[in-house]
Amino acid sequence: MKLRVVHRTTYLYSEAVSTSYHEAHLAPRDGEGARLVAHDMAIDPTPGVSRERLDYFGNRALHFSIREPHRTLEVVATSTVDVTPKPAPLLHTTPVWQEVRDRLRRDRRKDILDAFPFTLDSTSARVGPPLAAYAAPSFTENRPILEAVSELTARVHADFAYDAKATDVTTPVLEVLRRRRGVCQDFAHFQISCLRSLGLAARYVSGYLLTRPPPGRPKLVGADASHAWLSVFVPDFGWVDFDPTNNLIPSDEHLTVAQGRDFADVTPLKGVIHGGGRHEVRVAVDVGVA
Amino acid sequence: MTPEDRERRWEKARHLIHENGVSYNVYGDPRGMERPWSLSPVPVLIAAEEWSALAAGVAQRARLLDLLLADLYGEQRALAEGWLPPELVFAHPSFLRAVYRARVPDGRWLPLYGVDVVRGPDGRFRALADRTQVPSGAGYALENRIVVARALPELFRACNVERLALFFRTLQETLAGTARHNRDKARVVVLTPGPYSATFFEQAYLAQYLGYTLASGGDLAVRDERVYLKTLSGLQLVDVILRRVNDDYCDPLELRPDSVLGVPGLVQAVRQGNVALANPLGTGVLHTTAILPYLPQIARHLLGEELALPSAETFWCGDPAAMAVVRDRFDRLVFKPTFPEGFTLPVFVAGLAQGERDRFRACVEAAPRHWVAQEQIAVSTTPSLDEDTLAPRALVLRAYAVAVAKDGYMVMPGALSRVARDRDNPDVSMQVGAGSKDTWVMGAGPVSAFSLLPPPSFPVAISRGGGDLPSRAADNLFWLGRYAERAESIARLARVVAARLHDGPAEQMLAVDSEAMILFRALAAQTEAPLPHPADLATAESQLLLAVLDVERNGSLAAVAQRTLRVARMVRDRLSADTWRVIATLDHVLGVRAIEETRSRLGAITGLLDRTVQTLAAFSGLAMESMTRGQAWRFLDIGRRLERLASMALLLRNTLARRTEREAPTLEAILAVADSGITYRRRYLASLQTAPVLDLLLMDESNPRSAVFQLRALVEHVHALPPQLDAGIRSPQVRFAMAALAEVQAADVELLAATDMDGVRGDLERFVARVEAQIPAISDSLSSTYLNHAPVSRRS
Repeated sequence: MKLRVVHRTTYLYSEAVSTSYHEAHLAPRDGEGARLVAHDMAIDPTPGVSRERLDYFGNRALHFSIREPHRTLEVVATSTVDVTPKPAPLLHTTPVWQEVRDRLRRDRRKDILDAFPFTLDSTSARVGPPLAAYAAPSFTENRPILEAVSELTARVHADFAYDAKATDVTTPVLEVLRRRRGVCQDFAHFQISCLRSLGLAARYVSGYLLTRPPPGRPKLVGADASHAWLSVFVPDFGWVDFDPTNNLIPSDEHLTVAQGRDFADVTPLKGVIHGGGRHEVRVAVDVGVA
Repeated sequence: MTPEDRERRWEKARHLIHENGVSYNVYGDPRGMERPWSLSPVPVLIAAEEWSALAAGVAQRARLLDLLLADLYGEQRALAEGWLPPELVFAHPSFLRAVYRARVPDGRWLPLYGVDVVRGPDGRFRALADRTQVPSGAGYALENRIVVARALPELFRACNVERLALFFRTLQETLAGTARHNRDKARVVVLTPGPYSATFFEQAYLAQYLGYTLASGGDLAVRDERVYLKTLSGLQLVDVILRRVNDDYCDPLELRPDSVLGVPGLVQAVRQGNVALANPLGTGVLHTTAILPYLPQIARHLLGEELALPSAETFWCGDPAAMAVVRDRFDRLVFKPTFPEGFTLPVFVAGLAQGERDRFRACVEAAPRHWVAQEQIAVSTTPSLDEDTLAPRALVLRAYAVAVAKDGYMVMPGALSRVARDRDNPDVSMQVGAGSKDTWVMGAGPVSAFSLLPPPSFPVAISRGGGDLPSRAADNLFWLGRYAERAESIARLARVVAARLHDGPAEQMLAVDSEAMILFRALAAQTEAPLPHPADLATAESQLLLAVLDVERNGSLAAVAQRTLRVARMVRDRLSADTWRVIATLDHVLGVRAIEETRSRLGAITGLLDRTVQTLAAFSGLAMESMTRGQAWRFLDIGRRLERLASMALLLRNTLARRTEREAPTLEAILAVADSGITYRRRYLASLQTAPVLDLLLMDESNPRSAVFQLRALVEHVHALPPQLDAGIRSPQVRFAMAALAEVQAADVELLAATDMDGVRGDLERFVARVEAQIPAISDSLSSTYLNHAPVSRRS
């Protein structure tokens, strides 16, 4: 299935911005069941410099800087991606979770060493006893890892209410745990923190959901903006995605843009500006079948 | 040497330290942030053979860490092969993924290296900690050398002490060599976190000594993936940054978003290879003592050598085997956090009471990976002067190495020696008040004298430009001029008020129209404080004390003096040593102790005000005599002239706007404030009249305190500043200054002195208002033309 994404970000400033520096993670990743067919970035005003690179996590990062004074900035990313449905993993055939934990700690095989950093604390996904305690009931002795993760995903979905007003990008995970509400980003950070607190490797995935699903399929929660979910590492199986916001294992309605330790690594658009006064941001995302 | 002789010499050294303003900033010290540098007179002596063995070990460690950094930011064999626990890298806040696989000039990751070394009971040296990111202290070592060599010149010569200058010369060459282009005249800046960082003195000192511009993040800007220094003459390309800002603070866009010390876009400029940083971004990843236990095996693999300078026995508690040993030897170990954030003191378990010991043990057990334990070495001591006798103190040396050709390192023949404050205290942190020493490496024969004067093979282009003045430095100089002059004006005015209060019977002096009360109100206006009319002399005196001494009041003399010092610190590298010494004495003249002593009695205030006026006058004089007439001097003087004009306008508006019964004594007081009494009396003998006083204070071009004198100087200055492309034929500040000058020159003092039926001098009031209106206009247009290149950046 070919999907077409239009992601439009508009900044409105109360005073002119004289210079600005930005970094964007808006180009979808190629590979792992998705093929990037086309990608285009339209930036207004036109940047003085812009340069793309692959970041540490293999995402496409675009750096641009605008030197002409401006009061609005509009960034429109348009991408076409061919998505192949992923076969559902056989949860009960995966290794026992403690075995995965121990291998992550000791094994220096390339893929395992690469997964190891995702067992550690990061800015928005913190490791701690309350998080391990929340995860514990699902991670019983000798349980296959993905069975346990799947149950944890269902519990997060059941225990936490979707509430766009309850949190913002800076709300810490322990606060999310206390309030039991938040948005996709909070649920992803929370579940990642739970898994890391057990010594497992979990990464943050930013991307999109199909906004206009084919007839007969329901529209998923979080479909009108950037979406976020997580991915868990299993040796010899690779990375497997879970979406706690919708309590499912992503297949062909999820489109991955970038992966990292947490939101801070893959922020869709960030910047440092000179001037600008107060500002307002408008984000509109549309994902349809191409 | 007799004790008297020793004391006399040491007094000289202390004097030098005090006068040079050598200082170290202490965080969280209620007595003020700047602590004088503590230097002990007896140097640490090390024989040449012993030193060369140590130096070889230091150079080897530098080579090792250089290779290890290249590995961690490249192949990561050290992790894949199991030489180093991956957590120590991946969890380190200074492992900067943004520069992973970035290229560094000549593949050298460690241009400058520092290492803390102690000597154990077996006489062998051991490394305690490696400094790979922004090794500090080399500048203090240099300053220590200069002071001690001056205090003990004969001894210094007799010991054939190895000189330090060659090391710094090599540092200059190494830094220039990292520039991508124009290596022969690379522009190097020292990136400072600012005057509040612990070692700001050293940063300014090194910048001056090495001939580099001292710049804060706001002085730099990235354009087209290149780094520029914002100067009055525009943007100037920067080739190399000797940084003193920590890794994660260097770029708010890609690193710590809350950093205000960095330069947005810097990381991208680094990745493009357009600027070289020393040390490169990300080098802080080795700044953890947790790597020490793994260095021997890394040395075997990367160098094929054994460590010549071994580390103190160290355990990373995150390693279960190491933790088992730590449990056994807990009470004898020193603990440090694995990744120290900010400043943290090591925990000496032996020094803890039993209860604290148990609590600390539980804390380590709860999160072993966050702790590093080190054996507490019975470190060698060095004799230090304690009161009058020599007593032993624990000693830690910090040695330095700089990268030279191929993969070699040159080790500084000398070190920064730090000694514990107390006999039983093993802690040598400057933050807890440890002292320092010079370190003499004694050669067998005479050493070659060498100084940083350029040899003939090192041609220096003759230059008289001052075009590299950073806009922010110009801004600070402008405000230094303004604040210093404002402080002087307040002090002069307050001095006259204090004297006049006791010039006659109390009831006469407290009358609303007495000269004392008229000036009292002018002082209130000058210090921006509402002073109600005092009911009695005691109230008047206490209000006067508040206006002068109350630091909490924004406009008080004490507050203005503090601001003067603050901006002076920021441009310290622009002031001559003598000028700095003079302005720095403000800290004593108007310091906490002086204020406490004066607060209780009015009698003392006259002395304090006298000293303030003298200090500030000496500062003006020195600036006049010792600064070249470049842009720095112009901005300082523009600030001074504008402020003096403003003070004069304020004084006249508040004293002469209305005729009073006591016009003559008021005029006399005004002349005293304006330091023009003698001139007036010489010209007009005793006859005090308003018109001639106004003539002297406004129109007399020969009076350096007159309004016209200030405006003439201002017009000359603004004409001489570099032209701006978009400013038209005459920049706005030139127009405003000329308008004000024309206003004053065209004034008729007889008319200004005239009063109406009610005794009001309407013409004078309107005239002063017109002149005053030009002052903010000049100041603002200067700011927008020259100084506002440094807008505050923020996140979006």
